[in-house]
Amino acid sequence: MGITNTQHLERIVDYLKEKRGEDVSLADVVALAEITAESLQTFFETMDTALYRELRDIAGYIADMKVEIGALQANELKNSRIPAAGQELGAIVQATEKATNTIMECAEELMAADASDAAAYKALVDEKMLIIFEACSFQDITGQRIAKVVETLQHIEARVSRFATAMRAKDMTGYFTEQEKARAARREKLLLNGPQLEGEAIGQNDVDSLLSQDNDSAQSDIDRLFS
Amino acid sequence: MSVDMSMPILVVDDYNTMIRIIRNLLKQLGFEDIDDASDGSAALTKMREKKYGLVISDWNMEPMTGYELLKEVRADPSLSKTPFIMVTAESKTENVIAAKKAGVNNYIVKPFNAQTLKTKIDAVFAE
Repeated sequence: MGITNTQHLERIVDYLKEKRGEDVSLADVVALAEITAESLQTFFETMDTALYRELRDIAGYIADMKVEIGALQANELKNSRIPAAGQELGAIVQATEKATNTIMECAEELMAADASDAAAYKALVDEKMLIIFEACSFQDITGQRIAKVVETLQHIEARVSRFATAMRAKDMTGYFTEQEKARAARREKLLLNGPQLEGEAIGQNDVDSLLSQDNDSAQSDIDRLFS
Repeated sequence: MSVDMSMPILVVDDYNTMIRIIRNLLKQLGFEDIDDASDGSAALTKMREKKYGLVISDWNMEPMTGYELLKEVRADPSLSKTPFIMVTAESKTENVIAAKKAGVNNYIVKPFNAQTLKTKIDAVFAE
């Protein structure tokens, strides 16, 4: 195609050389226009083929992306699964709080009870123990609720993982919102690590050991943490 | 130095159940004058109104954490001598070291039992 373009340009140059110094007629202008049009035609044909190939690739990518976005089931997650998981977690908090209150009320009543009448005290203990056993049944229901939440998390994980792989997604650095950034900064500044899993947390004996060390030792521990 | 069982104690936690647990444990140990606050700023207000013999505080609370409360207490000349025990689920080494640097008297990792609480209170007043 490049050769063809060069040939057209050479024709224009030759034509202009040939006509130099002469008056330019309408026929000359038309002839020049024809050569230029032929030249542009070739250029557009070349461009069309490359452009078509690019656009076809982009269309294919968009079609794949639409399939992957559909497979993500984002609307179902947003409108159904995530709110349902939130409700399950809310119910777990309520159930554990209610059970804890019931158990603590029983314990407080027993602590405050008059034990001088042994028979009456025994009857009270039996009654409160029965209530405590009943309250402990929350564990079975919360266990089932937690299983549902875990299932939702696995469902989301599978879809997000497939989407990220298909899109060859690279993680954005930084934070999604200013609020998220502020929360992360607060957590870091105030050492809000939250409860640790077994194996990650230190026990009371380790805490006691750290507290009993002199200040120089504590500083070396800090230095080690930041090194 | 023996523990004064009549001293006022301030329990700081944003979780009512935990306040109730600590309050009951303290009562079992013989303490009677027990107040509570739901975060560091509420605790500071109470501490400026009443002199407490001991503060038992959680770490992770909003808006003011127990760690911030500890630093505020140690920076305030009228409160700086108040014994302070951190009772928290924050169980990383960096938390313990930071609390120690900030002047905590003792540190209890949740979950804990009555014996641990008693041992730590005794240790603070034996210093």
